[in-house]
Amino acid sequence: MDQLQLRELEARCIQEEQPFCTAACPIHVDVRAFMAALARDDVRGARKVLDRTMPFPEILGRLCDAPCRPFCKRGEIGDPLAIGSLERFCVSRTQAMVKLPKLPNKGGKVAVFGAGLSGMTAALDLARKGRPATLITPDDDIGGRLRSLPAEILPGEALAQARTILAGYGVTVMTATSLDDAAVTNLIDQYDAVYCDRDAVGALAGPFAAGEPDPLSLALAQDGCFAGGGLGTDGNYSVIKQVEDGRRAALSIERFLQKVSLTAQRDKEGSCATRMVTVIDGIAPAAEIPPVDPAQGYTPAEARAEAGRCILCECMECVKQCVYLREYKEYPKTLVRRIYNNLAIVQGTRNANKMINACSLCGQCTVICPHDFPVAEVCRSTRQEMVATGHMPPSPHDFALEDMRFSQSEACRLSRHQPGHDASRFLFYPGCQLAGSAPDLVVRAYEFLSGNLTGGVGLMLGCCGIPAHWAGQQALFAETLDGFRAEVAQMGRPTLIAACSSCLSVFREFAPDLAVTSLWEVLDGLELPAGERRRPEAALALHDPCTARYQDGVRTSVRSLCAKLGLAVVEPALGGELADCCGYGGLMQFANQPLGTKAALVKAGRSRRDGLAYCAMCRDNLAAAGRPVAHLLDYLFAAAADPDPLARANPGFSGRHENRARLKERLLASLWQETSVARPAHAAIPLLIAPEVAALLDSRLILEEDVRKVIEHAERSGRYLIHPGTGHRLASFRPVRVTYWIEYETIDRGFRIHNGYSHRMRLPEETP
Amino acid sequence: MSTFSFAEATAWQCAGCNRPLEPAEVKVTYLNSVFTVELMVCPGCGFVLVPESLAVGKMLEVEQLLEDK
Repeated sequence: MDQLQLRELEARCIQEEQPFCTAACPIHVDVRAFMAALARDDVRGARKVLDRTMPFPEILGRLCDAPCRPFCKRGEIGDPLAIGSLERFCVSRTQAMVKLPKLPNKGGKVAVFGAGLSGMTAALDLARKGRPATLITPDDDIGGRLRSLPAEILPGEALAQARTILAGYGVTVMTATSLDDAAVTNLIDQYDAVYCDRDAVGALAGPFAAGEPDPLSLALAQDGCFAGGGLGTDGNYSVIKQVEDGRRAALSIERFLQKVSLTAQRDKEGSCATRMVTVIDGIAPAAEIPPVDPAQGYTPAEARAEAGRCILCECMECVKQCVYLREYKEYPKTLVRRIYNNLAIVQGTRNANKMINACSLCGQCTVICPHDFPVAEVCRSTRQEMVATGHMPPSPHDFALEDMRFSQSEACRLSRHQPGHDASRFLFYPGCQLAGSAPDLVVRAYEFLSGNLTGGVGLMLGCCGIPAHWAGQQALFAETLDGFRAEVAQMGRPTLIAACSSCLSVFREFAPDLAVTSLWEVLDGLELPAGERRRPEAALALHDPCTARYQDGVRTSVRSLCAKLGLAVVEPALGGELADCCGYGGLMQFANQPLGTKAALVKAGRSRRDGLAYCAMCRDNLAAAGRPVAHLLDYLFAAAADPDPLARANPGFSGRHENRARLKERLLASLWQETSVARPAHAAIPLLIAPEVAALLDSRLILEEDVRKVIEHAERSGRYLIHPGTGHRLASFRPVRVTYWIEYETIDRGFRIHNGYSHRMRLPEETP
Repeated sequence: MSTFSFAEATAWQCAGCNRPLEPAEVKVTYLNSVFTVELMVCPGCGFVLVPESLAVGKMLEVEQLLEDK
């Protein structure tokens, strides 16, 4: 990722866009932070927010005409916030909290003609920027029009406060000073730049006599002369317009003195548009809470209640749904920044590695995002970059990639025409996870397909390679896909029937030349198997897998099949193209195990009902999270007398391994009358493992095959430890990159397993 | 570099040598890093014990740290 890509990505996330009120405010007061502070009874905190943006909070806080109010999102569900009354409440009850810094004197003499609010603002802003400013008025005090306001609207202290502020920043105030034609001409010569507050002094002589200022910079035709303030184009006097013009003029004068463009990049000044999106679904309407005594204004309790109606507008639509973004407390813009910084580290700790590897790559956020932010693609391509540069840590993906190699090995892979056929019109591809989770269902589905489709239905067992794709291992992924293509070609390029949405997505995206369809669409087009079927007692929540997000045909056929089977299903709160991942996607559960479990619970929790899945990984992960869940094939092919599919346990990694190998042996023997390759010596070692020990081994990613290898090695070499108290043995073995330790005891016919753990560090005697 | 000791009295004995384990310095390696640590080792054959608490604790922590370097 380069910096340009980073910027482009960042710009797509709108979470940091201004809320509607702030964008509408001509000086961009952080109204959201102001409301949040008031709502938590932090009036001083609220004052700080005003002090940071408003030139004279004592004045503006009492008089602002609040052009932001019509933009308040709360107005769509109740009344807009009473921002004006709340600001008045705040400034009436607090002293100034923040004194903005004054930059060192940078030279450049500036005069401001007229001491209305606009002139005062310009003088103050310039003084803060280090430009000595002189405020000149024919009146005997500053304030212009404000001086005529009654004390209950603007108390005298407010103007006194303003005088103090101006003095504090070193603004020279010249009252009772003539601004007649001669004086103006004379003063223009003495100063480098001049701003004319048209509200306070009207039209002056010379350059100020005629002509409208440029609306963006407020510059007049004569260099160094600026004018603003006064009535708006609608003929009304707006307090906030005076401030806006004064501030705009000060910025223009600063640019003029720096001799840079007066107009470049000023589109965010003044009221502006925002790309913010705030969804108000589910927020209860609430009417304005007016003060009980309007003359006295809000009481603290009333102000707190009124401010508490603020929705605190933000986007966060993806974060609301995504367990991953919530876990890492990021939204896409900050996430991509962290990823970029992580990639940029040359020496030091890459703290974001785990985060990058924990995304399920499911793409839910992209569908939710108003600007289609591609979090999954960013994370996946970053993994690819990490692999390419040698910075990918081995532990997050090793296990899944080994699992994939096993599925692709001679122990599991298979490719055959239908018995009695020498060609295949179709090729059933159940995928590695269905073969691992429910081998019986693979057999029954294959029997059904080969009995009901003509032209020969071949069978292929293996793995589509998606774990390598997810892990950023492009070379391995390409190699797997090439091998797959070659095998399909050897079978005569039949139409693939994929049972797994992940396989389907891989074939469609990376092998578009192959003819591919889904098992569900094929089944939906056939007459379903007859016979008495088991039915669940209540309607089930239908869980779409995340990989079927863009497979409308699959999702439609699945629902059609449910209807034909008489299976009552309900849609969970989030499904279809918004479906969550179960925690397997993107290898999330290997990079961050607890997060994987959370993801499964979130997916299951989208409905209180028992579940129905049609992805084997969803089925097993939801079952592992303790939720009753069946696979759709269970209800298609299981007989009424079969055990309740909702109660089928998660086979775990060892179970899936074993199931895959046994499925091949069983199919070879029963359908093709072939014997399989001999299993290694350790495969025959009988193990006795209590369920809680099996669960521990599974969570530690220790396969029974690894256990057998350790025991076989220990018993053959005699190298193990023995515990004199229990008689247990403790041994270790390092087949490839992980050292496994197994505590076991010898029993009559085999070994009872008590514990297992592993480490990746290498001991001196270990070679690999 | 100073040697960290993870040697703790243990009931495990070497079955092959029929001897109790004793603390000894051991070089462990991971991703091009080498550490000398004190572990319980069979004085006869050099069988090194990595106890569970170390494997799932400090050792895992260091592995993760090295992986992110």
